[in-house]
Formats: sequence, structure tokens, C-alpha cells
Amino acid sequence: MSIKSKLNRLKPHLSTGRKADKQGIPDQIDKSGDIPFFEKWTVENVEPFYFDDSYCLVRKVEYPIMYRHGKYSFAELINIVNIWNNNPELNHPLSAIGHKAEELFFFDTETTGLGGGAGNTIFLLGHASVTDSKVILKQHFLPHPGAEIALYQSFLTSVDYRTLVTYNGKSFDWPQVKTRHTLIRDHVPKLPSFGHFDLYHASRRMWKHKLERVKLAAVEKDILGLQRTQDVPGYLAPIIYFDYLERKDPEGIFGVLKHNEQDILSLITLYIHLSKQLLGLDPERSERESFEVGRWFSSLGNIDKAKDTFSTLALHEVPESYAAKHALAFECKRERDWERAVVLWKDIAENDASIGRIVVEASVELAKYMEHHRKDPESALWYADKARRNVELFPSSPKKDRILIDCGKRIERLNKKISRASARID
Amino acid sequence: MKVRKNLQELMEELKTDDNLKDNIVHWHTIDEKPAVTVPLPDIHTSLERALERRGIKELYTHQETAYEYARKKHDFVAVTPTASGKTLCYNLPVLQGIMEEPNARALYLFPTKALAQDQKSEINELIEEAGLNINSYTYDGDTPANIRQKVRKAGHIVITNPDMLHSAILPHHTKWVSLFENLRYIIIDELHIYRGVFGSHTANVIRRLRRICHYYGSDPVFIATSATIANPVELGEKLTGKKMLLVDNNGAPTGKKHFVFYNPPIVNKPLNIRKSAALESRAIAGLLLKNRIQTIVFARSRVRVEILLTYLQELVKHKLGPKAIRGYRGGYLPIERREIERGLRSGEIYGVVSTNALELGVDIGRLQVCIMNGYPGTIASAWQQAGRAGRRQGESLVIMVASSNPLDQYIIQHPDYFFNNSPETARINPDNLIIMVDHLKCAAYELPFQKGEKFGGAETEDMLEYLEEEKILHRQGEKWYWMNDAFPATNISLRSASQENVVIIDTSDIANVKVIGEMDTFSAMTLLHEEAIYLHQGTQYQVEKLDWEEKKAFVREVDVDYYTDANLAVSLSVLEMDKERRINVAEAGYGDVSVRAMATIFKKIKFETHENIGSGPIYLPEEELHTNAAWISPGHSWTQLSQQRVEEGLVGTAEALRHIIPVFVMCDPADVHVVPQVKADHNEKPTIFFYDRYPGGIGLSEKIYENLENVLAEARQIVESCPCASGCPSCIGTETSLSTAKADAVHLLSLLSHQTERGGKPCQ
Repeated sequence: MSIKSKLNRLKPHLSTGRKADKQGIPDQIDKSGDIPFFEKWTVENVEPFYFDDSYCLVRKVEYPIMYRHGKYSFAELINIVNIWNNNPELNHPLSAIGHKAEELFFFDTETTGLGGGAGNTIFLLGHASVTDSKVILKQHFLPHPGAEIALYQSFLTSVDYRTLVTYNGKSFDWPQVKTRHTLIRDHVPKLPSFGHFDLYHASRRMWKHKLERVKLAAVEKDILGLQRTQDVPGYLAPIIYFDYLERKDPEGIFGVLKHNEQDILSLITLYIHLSKQLLGLDPERSERESFEVGRWFSSLGNIDKAKDTFSTLALHEVPESYAAKHALAFECKRERDWERAVVLWKDIAENDASIGRIVVEASVELAKYMEHHRKDPESALWYADKARRNVELFPSSPKKDRILIDCGKRIERLNKKISRASARID
Repeated sequence: MKVRKNLQELMEELKTDDNLKDNIVHWHTIDEKPAVTVPLPDIHTSLERALERRGIKELYTHQETAYEYARKKHDFVAVTPTASGKTLCYNLPVLQGIMEEPNARALYLFPTKALAQDQKSEINELIEEAGLNINSYTYDGDTPANIRQKVRKAGHIVITNPDMLHSAILPHHTKWVSLFENLRYIIIDELHIYRGVFGSHTANVIRRLRRICHYYGSDPVFIATSATIANPVELGEKLTGKKMLLVDNNGAPTGKKHFVFYNPPIVNKPLNIRKSAALESRAIAGLLLKNRIQTIVFARSRVRVEILLTYLQELVKHKLGPKAIRGYRGGYLPIERREIERGLRSGEIYGVVSTNALELGVDIGRLQVCIMNGYPGTIASAWQQAGRAGRRQGESLVIMVASSNPLDQYIIQHPDYFFNNSPETARINPDNLIIMVDHLKCAAYELPFQKGEKFGGAETEDMLEYLEEEKILHRQGEKWYWMNDAFPATNISLRSASQENVVIIDTSDIANVKVIGEMDTFSAMTLLHEEAIYLHQGTQYQVEKLDWEEKKAFVREVDVDYYTDANLAVSLSVLEMDKERRINVAEAGYGDVSVRAMATIFKKIKFETHENIGSGPIYLPEEELHTNAAWISPGHSWTQLSQQRVEEGLVGTAEALRHIIPVFVMCDPADVHVVPQVKADHNEKPTIFFYDRYPGGIGLSEKIYENLENVLAEARQIVESCPCASGCPSCIGTETSLSTAKADAVHLLSLLSHQTERGGKPCQ
């Protein structure tokens, strides 16, 4: 019995599951220079890039610099990069200091699978950068899996970049480029290492409070005011590519190219928007966004900028102002500015309008302060008790239990201190 | 108050006690053996000093041979008994090698995570002692993400297991460039574990590993260590695809060992029923444990482990406390196992009841006594278990308590067979189509296949074309590329035949529902059906609901005085005959079969008395299995008997054969099933089938086909020489009811294994 017929009989035990619905095209070997459906490609501005005996396809699109994509025109990018360069003290990971606008390199890929791994092929590498007058977008497309050397040769030689701007490229796109590059590294130029702006992490910091999943599509829709029409969802890209490999008709691929193009353009808008939030240049910045900006600066150790942001926010009578006061109090504590911290904490703990976690934390901080700094166990007890009463309202969780235990211990200790003190007095 | 007795005194008691001494059918003493050593070879002085500080001033002969071979870049297998210093066989050349070439890398493969952890501590102590700048890390599911990168880039020695290699390292080989470019040594410890399904999978993982090494330009030396089996070199060569040399000049000393064969007394002469092995094991273990002699008891199945554990904990509860005796088997969570291992090493735990899970080199320190509740099924396994007693010299005692089953009775009555025969052969079949295709997919994911490229020794074109038709690979010119959005390694488990496990969920406490273990689907059909009593660490649980779709069993703690035992009904048809031959008047065949198995009923069996106290149906869907089988059908002369006599004769014969099979093919008794059919579909004759329990087969039934004459002759000898009148658990089992069954079975076996007296009619 032949191995193939045996395999067909064992099929139920083999974990493929996938049913063959179309017969493969018998001969898919490209004769040199003979690109299937070449006319269709040409209509989409696609040209072949030849290297050694192989080729990849390159699509080039240009937009005028005044073109408006979502909230902003691309020209704003040049402006934003200038402002970053004029504010060296900000020292923020998204700062473009030391770079010109045209050096920013907005980058996105499409792959044949999810997650990392040697078998996950990148079939599309797209990037865009600005000049004085326009945005130039280029997409390098893998016409078949044997053409990766041409693909990376084309990609690595056509761009002059020092800085990547991506959406989750730090943990996905770039490692995958490295993986594929490793497989063909003897044939194409060495992969340079460079800096990286990852807008996914920035977006998560800013908007995870309002977006269920901080996907680029959600950011576009809810933050950047962009509405896509007739978009091919990204998760269909692998299947469209497999179908293209079967039939060679690029019809479906054009949708994927368009999708990738939109993603890259949105990265430009998103970078402008994020920068404006951080630089305090967006008049529509919400209190919550201001608060998140303050927190970000705080976590970067830029205390002045953080305090600045929180203080402004604390002045307004909005729900975020209590969160801002709370955050500000911690900045003060960090600098051992107890006086100011205590004022802020008291404001939170004694205000009926503020609720939840921050009341508990502020009360606990005050209890600690009263116990250890003021040596005033009775006041400390009052705050500890307040903390406990508020925690009891929380839904049950291990964290709640932990806080309750801590409060219990504190109260017990304070009670002992108080009775010892009164014993001494008696 | 009674004074505690030591092991010598207890051995004396065994020999003289009226209740015990008559049951001892054989007392074999293995004398101590002095060490054979040679001076240290020319190694780096810091390494030499480190060894010296650990009390090693010379090498045992086998360690020196291993060192020489490794230095000359010969691949080899070192056969090393327990406690013979096997780790130095590879650690020494590897460390010396890395000191000479600081970029060099080594990959250590251990069959389990626990063993890898043990070895890491051992090699790190040596490295530290020598003050070497060598990094060794374990890489497994527990390795934190921030350390992983360091391991990939800077680990000189990466210690892992085949599963991690399969699912985490090879598919991400581009992140391991510095390892694969500089890989000089691959260590495979516990080689003998890589047999059957697991071995066949691992052989394919190693094919992939070598393919990746080749891509990055390295050609590492393979160093394997193995317990005693008949074919270590053959197994090593099949597993690695390389020619291997043998190192077996063991120079390590051993302590005096007493090996006692214990046969429980007959309680019913005509039926040849012996006292239960479990009860006898309990009595002996109890005697030892009461005297605080650290003892390990091996039992053959999970259920047996739990039953013995319950007995023993009850017996010594007041004397030693409930935590002093523990169970150990697959299905316990890792954290529980680690705790037990520690307790044994520290001496807090006096006794452990285990399945063969503790045969592996997990470090549990030194135990004085090993009791086997029943013959473990293979000679190699018996020696492995025996090695658990007195690992590091000193006098030790091993007691094998025979059960009534034919194999046990055969072994216990033939001590020469056990002590003089070479242990069994370990079989793997790297070319099992299902296993190989799975790994071919993984390999294609890792690197595209070139037309004409071989995978191990196997031709790939047919398989690649098949995968192309299934739209998993894409052919472009002369190459096949992975072209699918899946990650193939996730769906392929190296360990179990069935890919899916049933999760066992304890719902005793509604507020705190928790997972307590898992089990493969085939075992679950008979062990986790609804109403089954599932035992876990001596606690009884009843299965309240088995969600077969979701593969979940919901159990609740109960306290009952019975356990359950389920029947599996099997039907079988031949799909294609690959080989056939005639044995005297019988037809023997080998080929592809389809097996359909269905759990039918279960019985409730009372502890102690083993009475049947009730039964119930099991409603589970039929499971189908395509595999390889060998079969044999007798000629005409026998089939003229009545239908019932034919049936019972076949059942009895199959039972005897089932027990003798593991002697001929080194395998777990569960790996090969024996099924009798009164009228087989393919030839309409009474037939006995032997099939591999894994889809596509792993080469066991083929081995049986080749050895049918011996298997049949041995089975005949067992049944004929059994003293019972008309069948008993020690020969043809208890499933038969006719008084003629035993005679018919003997007659059938003689027809199959010998020239018939009257010449017999040849079959068509």
C-alpha cells in the first residue's frame, strides 16, 4: 500500500481537520519575468523588484502633506517633531528629540499566522515617511514563499531609517522580522538595531480605561475619529494570502494592501495625537487623559512634570481631581513633603464625594502618618477605622481580604497603644 | 515496650517465621562488588581539584571510557546501573570541552522536568566548586520570561525535556542561533524511557533537532545513558539516527542485595487461588514500616497504588502519623510530587507506594527495602525498581510478591529465567506514519523542505504531497513551505496516545471547586465513567458526572468500602494484510486493523474480600482506533468443537497470551491488547488478535508476529504446568465457565505451536 493511501485512511487520526476544497494548480513555478496577473498589479501601482533569480512586488502610494487623515493633517507631524526637539527636558520615550520628521518610519506587517515562531511568514512589509511636501508609503509584498530574499533585500535597501513607529511592533512585528531575517541572513544586508516607538503601549496607558481592548481599530474609531469603510479585517489576511497562493489572482490581496495602508496612515495620526496629549497641546484633552499623562510622567521619574499635571487637575471640581490629588499626594510623600501630602489625603478621606480605593488608601496613609510621625494613635485609629469601613463595601476578592487583615492588625495595635498610654496616665 | 528491629533482624525473621518462610520460594543474594578505578584523565586542574573536593580522586572504568569516547567525538550509549556515577560520564567531557572552547554549547535532555532540576543542581555544584565561568540553566515551562532570553543567548548548558524542545525551542530556533551554531554535545539521559509512543515521538523530535543543527552548521555528539536493557545501542541508534558505541564496563561498587521471591500461599487448592498479593504486600510492608525501615512499595496500576496506600495508612496510623506514608503516581500535581520527593530524602516520609513513576532517576535518596506488589511486567523494570533499595551501597532487601496472574506465576516459579535472561528489548517506531507526519509538519514549519530531502532515513515526498493536498504546505518549485495560520506543535503531545486528557474536578466543596488531576481519554473510559470510584492520595471520590464532550469529570469525596472495575468491549476488523505466513496448521497475519472499543459495564468490588457487590451500565460513545495488529487462526481440526467450547478455549488462550506478551516485547501490558474472535470478519475463522494501542502502531504487534512460535510455546507451557484443575487466574483466567476450557486452550496452543501428533490437515 502506498504511503499516501495509508495516510488517507489514517486521516481521522491525523490532526489536520482541514478539508481540501479546491484542487491545487498543477504548475505554479514562475518562469522568470512572467508575473501572473501582471496587468492587475500594474493598475494598483505595483512594480516588481528583481534580485538574483527572484522578485518581490513593491507598491508605492503618495499623499500630499496637507492630506487630513482623522483629526489631523500629516503636516502636523513636522510641527510636533519640532516641539519635541524644543523641549529636551521632557525626556519621554515618545519624544522625537534628535530626529527629523522625515526620519520617523511608520511600520506595519501582515503575516501568515498569529504569535511568533519560525514558520510564521511575513508576506507584507509596509512603511511610510514624510517629506516637506508629501507622505510616501511603500509596501513590499511576497509573491510566493520562495521569494523572501528579494523581499528583504527590497525592504532593507529602500528605506533609510533610524526610528521605527509601530503598533505593538516591539513584541510582534520586529521580532518576527528578525526571525525571518535569521533564516536568510546570508543573502541580505545585516539587520540594523535601532530605537523604537511603540504606540500600542502608549495607547494602553492612555485609554485602557475607556476601551475594552486597545486595538488599533478601536483607537481609530473612538479616539482619532476615523471610520473605515469596506475594510478587510486583519484576521482574514492569512486566509486571503493562502487563497492568493493557490490562484495567484491578486484581487483579495488588494484589500489586504489597503488595510495595511490604512493601519500605517493611522499610526501617523496616532503619533501626532499621543504627542499632543503628552505635550499638553490638545485643548480637548479630558481630565482622565490628563491624569494618565501625569501618571506616566510620574512612573518615568519626571516628578516636576507629574506634579504639574496633577496640580492643575486637582484645582478643578471633577471626579478625576480626587484621583489627581491622590497621585499628587504620593509624589509629595516620595519627596517627604508630608505637610502637603497630608492636606491632600485629608481632602480625599474627609470628602464624602470621593469613594472607593483612593479613600481607603488615603485613610491608610493618614493612619500610618498619624501613628508613626505624629505619634497620635487616637487620630490614627480614626483613619484606620475609616479605611476598614470603606474596604468592607468592596466586592470580595483576595486583595480585599488582605487589606482587611492589615487594617485589623493596625487597629489592634493602635488599641493596645492607646490603652497602654491611658494606663500610664492613670 | 517492643524494641525496634533492624533490617538484619527482620530478614532473619522472614527466614524463620512459620507464617512467612514457606512462602519464600527463592532467596537470591547478590554479593557486594568492589570498585574498579583508573586515575583521572588529563583534565583542567580546576576541574580536577573540584572533583577531589567532592571525594573523587579516580574514575570508575566506565566513566573513563565514556570520557575517551566523547573526546574522540564518538556517539555512544553508556549502560549504567543506579548509583554508578553516570552523570560524570557526560558532565566531565562537557565541562572540559567548554573550558577548551568557551563558545561551545551542550543540550541536556531529561524525560521529566523533575530530573532536569536535579541535574541542574548537581552540575552547578560542580561548576561552582571549580570556579568555572560556565552558565547552565534549565529551560522549561516554569522558566520566567526574563531569564529565557539569557538562557537562549548565554546558556552554555541548556537543560530541558523533549516536550520543551518540541514545542518551545525548535519552532523558535531563530531565537537560539548561538545554541545551534555552537552545539557540540547532546545528552540523552534515561535513554530506556524513550520507548513505545514516547520514544517514537522523541526520535522524530531528534530528527528535527538534527535538521536544525545541520542548517546552522553544527554536528553535535550524542551521549546517552541507559538502564540495563537488551538493546541499548539499537535503541540509541534508532532514536538519534547515528551509529553509536557501547560503554558497559561498569566499575562502580555495589552493596550486598537480597532478592526474595515471595509467593502467597494457596487458599483454595482445586481452584488454585492464592492469597491476595496486595494483602501479603501490606503485611510485609507493615512489619517493616512499624520498625521504621524506609520502604518503597511498587504497584502496577494507579488503582492498586491507592488501595495499598489506604491499607498501609490505616495500619500504621497511630505509630507514624498520617503523613509518614504517601502515594506517588502520574495524575498527582507536580507540587505534590516534589513535596513527597523531599520528604523521602529528608526521612520524614517512611514509606511510599508508587507506580513505575518512581522508576525514573528522581532523587529520593536511599531506601532500605523495595517491595514489588506483583511482577512489574519486564525484567528491566524489575531491576530498576529493585535499584531503589540500597542505591548507595550497604545491605538492602528486595521482595517480589507474586500475584495470581500467569506472568507473575511463571516468573516466580522460574527464578533462573529472571536472573539469567537478558532483559527485554525496547522498541520504537520512528516511522509510524501518524507520528512522523505530525513531526514532518513541525519540521516544515521550522524550515521548508527541499524536494528529495530525507527526514531521518525516511523518504518525504509522498507525505509532503499529502500535506500539500491538505493545504498545510505550499509547493513552490522544488520546495515545500509551511503555509497555514496554525502553530503545529501545540496540538501534538509526545506523551499520550490520545491527544486529549480528561480533567478531574473535585466539587466536594462547592465554594472551592478545584482540579485534582488528569487522565488520558482511553483510561478515562474505564476509570472515570459515572459512578466510578476514583482514588486520589488514598481518598475516595465518586464520579458524579463525566462530560465527555468537554473532557471533564466531576467528582465528589465519598467514603465507601468498595472500588470499581469496568469492562471494555472490543470489536475488530482487518483492513489490509501486509504479511502472512503459515505456522504448522495455523495462519498468521500482520497488517492494518480498525478497532472499536466501548466501555460496557462496571462492577463494584468490596475491599478485603474482593466480592462483587453490584454493577451498572456505562454510557459512553464508541472509540475507534486504526492501528497495526498481528493475528493467528488455527486450522480446521479444532473448529469442529461446539461454538461455546471454541469461544471459551479462545478466551482462555487469549488470557494466557496476554500475560506472556510483555516478556517478549518490552512494553507496558496496556500497550498491546489481545482480543479473541470466534469468527473473524476477514477469514471467518476463530482468531486471536494482538494490536498496538496507539493509532498507526508502534511496532509491537509486528514484533509479536515475528516471534509467534515462541510466544505460543511459552503460553502453552504456562497453562500446561499450572496445577489447577480446570482453569484459574494463574493460567487462563476466570472468564470461562466450562470445565473443558483449560484443556481446549492447551489443545489450541499445541495446535498452534507444535507439529500436531497426527500430522493434521493443512489449512487452505
